[in-house]
Amino acid sequence: MRIVIAGAGEVGSHLAKLLSYEEQDIIVIDENRERLDILDSSYNLMTVCGNPTSFLTLKEARAGQADLFIAVTPLETTNLVACSIAKSFGAITTVARISHYGFMAPENRPAMQRMGVDRLIYPEYLAACEIITAMEHSWVRNWFELHDGQIILVGVRIRDNAPLAGMQLKEFASTTGCFHVSAIRRNHETIIPRGNDYMLAGDVLYITATRDRIDDLIKLCGKVQRKIKRVLIMGGSKIAIRLVDMCGDRFRFTIIDNNREVCALLPEKCPDAEIVHGDARDPDVLAEAGIDRCDAFIALSPSSESNILTTLSAKEAGIKKSVAEVEDIQFIPQAEALGIGTVINKKLLATSTIFQLMLDADASTSKCLALTDAEVAELEVKPGAKITRAAVKDLHLDRNMTLAALIRDGRGMLVTGMTRFMVGDKVLIFCLAGSLHKVEHLFS
Amino acid sequence: MLIRLIGGLLQIEAVFMLIPLVTCLIYEETDYIVFAITGICTAVAGHLLWRVYPVTRRMGKREGFLLTASVWVVFSFAGMFPFIFGSPKADLSTSFFEAMSGFTTTGATILPPVEGISHGIIIWQALMQWLGGMGIILFTLAVIPALNTSGGMQMFNAEVTGVTHDKIMPRISQTAKMLWGLYFGLTTVLIILLWAGPMDLFDSICHAFGTISTGGFSSRQDSIAAFGSDYVLIIICLFMLLSGMNFAMLFKMVTGRWRQAGKDDVAKVYICAILVFTALFAIGRFTSGETLDWRHATLLPMFQVVSSITSTGYLAPGFTMWEPFVLALTFIMMFSGGCAGSTSGGAKIDRLLYLGRYLGNELRLCTHPNAVLSVRINGKIINRDLVSKVVAFLCLFMLLIVAGGTALSFMGLPAVDSFFSSFSCICNTGFGASLTGYGDDFLTIPAGAKWVLSFLMLTGRLEIFTVLVLFTPSFWK
Repeated sequence: MRIVIAGAGEVGSHLAKLLSYEEQDIIVIDENRERLDILDSSYNLMTVCGNPTSFLTLKEARAGQADLFIAVTPLETTNLVACSIAKSFGAITTVARISHYGFMAPENRPAMQRMGVDRLIYPEYLAACEIITAMEHSWVRNWFELHDGQIILVGVRIRDNAPLAGMQLKEFASTTGCFHVSAIRRNHETIIPRGNDYMLAGDVLYITATRDRIDDLIKLCGKVQRKIKRVLIMGGSKIAIRLVDMCGDRFRFTIIDNNREVCALLPEKCPDAEIVHGDARDPDVLAEAGIDRCDAFIALSPSSESNILTTLSAKEAGIKKSVAEVEDIQFIPQAEALGIGTVINKKLLATSTIFQLMLDADASTSKCLALTDAEVAELEVKPGAKITRAAVKDLHLDRNMTLAALIRDGRGMLVTGMTRFMVGDKVLIFCLAGSLHKVEHLFS
Repeated sequence: MLIRLIGGLLQIEAVFMLIPLVTCLIYEETDYIVFAITGICTAVAGHLLWRVYPVTRRMGKREGFLLTASVWVVFSFAGMFPFIFGSPKADLSTSFFEAMSGFTTTGATILPPVEGISHGIIIWQALMQWLGGMGIILFTLAVIPALNTSGGMQMFNAEVTGVTHDKIMPRISQTAKMLWGLYFGLTTVLIILLWAGPMDLFDSICHAFGTISTGGFSSRQDSIAAFGSDYVLIIICLFMLLSGMNFAMLFKMVTGRWRQAGKDDVAKVYICAILVFTALFAIGRFTSGETLDWRHATLLPMFQVVSSITSTGYLAPGFTMWEPFVLALTFIMMFSGGCAGSTSGGAKIDRLLYLGRYLGNELRLCTHPNAVLSVRINGKIINRDLVSKVVAFLCLFMLLIVAGGTALSFMGLPAVDSFFSSFSCICNTGFGASLTGYGDDFLTIPAGAKWVLSFLMLTGRLEIFTVLVLFTPSFWK
């Protein structure tokens, strides 16, 4: 697949690296020569130096032959114009990163279509959705549901108190039989487990289940589902504003920000939230904002380090759910190991959207979730796909992937060795980074 | 991982040994045994290395340099055995020199007169030049899918000539395939054109390999003059000219992007240089007082200019009798070489162009100290870091010539021979010192000197940094 990425910033570079590992043809456009040189010299891709909204540059980057054109420069207007030009050259799908909700509103879709922008990435919106999910299901780290929740994949960290800690996978399967352990994350490494592997305290387990068995799973993991009402947010960032706006009166928010000007503007954007000026790193400020009465703490300041550390001190005050924005990808495993409930990363969220597009050009039927070193995807089985040829145990699947569950005729079920896929099934796949393109082959 | 990949590459070399093997069988020569045994040994050794060493972590820049340099050495080692056991029965240092000279497209030969050795050995010499011309690594990148990763990128950067490395396709294996496809296409066209002339198929294949790779190999002792045909001179001259151009640019021209290619500063300088030097050569010839016809005034000087500037090293008939002035000009052209990204040797015109513009700026700054000047190529500003890298390269190039020359004279060669051979080898031109009128050919060189020259040829082909970086302590820390 030929993919042109305009903008070699954080998101653009991350996408370029990941997609080049996925063996796609990548061309990156940016105005900054030095940024491109770093990518050009160490990754298997091509770079074009120039303005992403210039006809000449886009022609040079052969944007017209692109299957996917992704504009992720920091400026949304640049992104929209670049997409529009690329579309007029003949790019098949165009994606623009935006930072205002107005572009996404359903009533404005036709206008966007006329401009030649097919899809939008709004990382702040995605982050807000992610946070809401995390608060609704306070016992998990990741929650990924398919087809109105028929199939649910959860990422959950187990402790000593979990009944399933120390169990071997075979044993777990024979006693319960209605869960699929798709992956285990241990010591910063994700593995696709086999029957002989053990589940240990401290692991993050990615378990697939049908909706009716979720309550059993909560017990097995030694967790309790808690209701979240009062939420404390550190940092009045765009994500915070988006989040408060989307939640309405489901939660009661308090926002702490150390910038007086930001605080002065917040009441206009978040009329129902309580605004406090102060440094959330200061325990007195946290106490004053009522941390002991809060159920959840969400750290959204620009600094990943502050977010991680402040969340840890907030946990000591007895909050039930902690969420931290960690923009440096290498810190995410550290943050998870330290016990932060859910980690938010805009790059990974944007990547999810792009992978979804890569897997399925129309993208109406598939979903994708990017983790730090793995991806979860939902794919529909098309006629003639390799995967329909035999039962799962005879398919000789790559060891870097596992098929977790499927949805047939609107009903979710787990995949076993005996399962044979049929055309129209929707399959939930868990695969390690760099092997998504192999999955694609199986389904095409 | 490194050793595993070297194993993989050796297996590829073994496949190429089939070509001389078949040639020997066609001409009913006994050397086929040599190629069969060498081929099998190379293949088995390669396969063992490939099997024994497991796939490991990703390759970084360091591994890229190390692998590229070692592959060239290992290839030359494997490629020298036919010379040792085949009909010429050369000794170890001679064979290694010959193999290295082949792969680096230097084309300096020290085997006995070409007519005395078998067709298999001849085609093997030509084939080595052809493989080395576009690059061994580049070929592997095109055929081994496992290298289509960022590790392959590092190897590409370490091998391909030039200051910056143009990719013409998003993925490295596609770029390699396109470049090799173009290379292969040019070679095929040349073979057909030569075959249509006075040459037989065997000669035309050998000469095509020698021309496109700018190695300068000839299957005849008298080189091109043996055919006595202006048609051959013109055709070879034209293809040498093409081989001295940036292949990425040729690719653009082939795919119909003429305008983009026509604006290229380096190509313009390259063509202008050839025209100017041809004119100077012609003037030089006329002032000699000989009576000359049109052929001597245009075609032969042009042929010699193109052959020198592209580092091919074919000699125009009668060149050794020409004036010292012409010889001096030849030195300049040997130094400059063709465009970056071509198969030619030398310091590359790109670098001289950078240097020229940079020096111009410095001179202008003497009188206008506040002027803001930058080196611009193709209308784009060249980063200062790049300019300083070019200056460093040119300094190293000169130092190596001097160091090589000194080492050779220490081994007992006359001073002129030492410096000229060292110069000719690092530029991958392959002119023997006999050209200067003072010295002898490479044939008389002592064994130690052959190793020195082999090292210089490799350093020149891989553009210095790739090889010299291996000798810095910080590389191994």
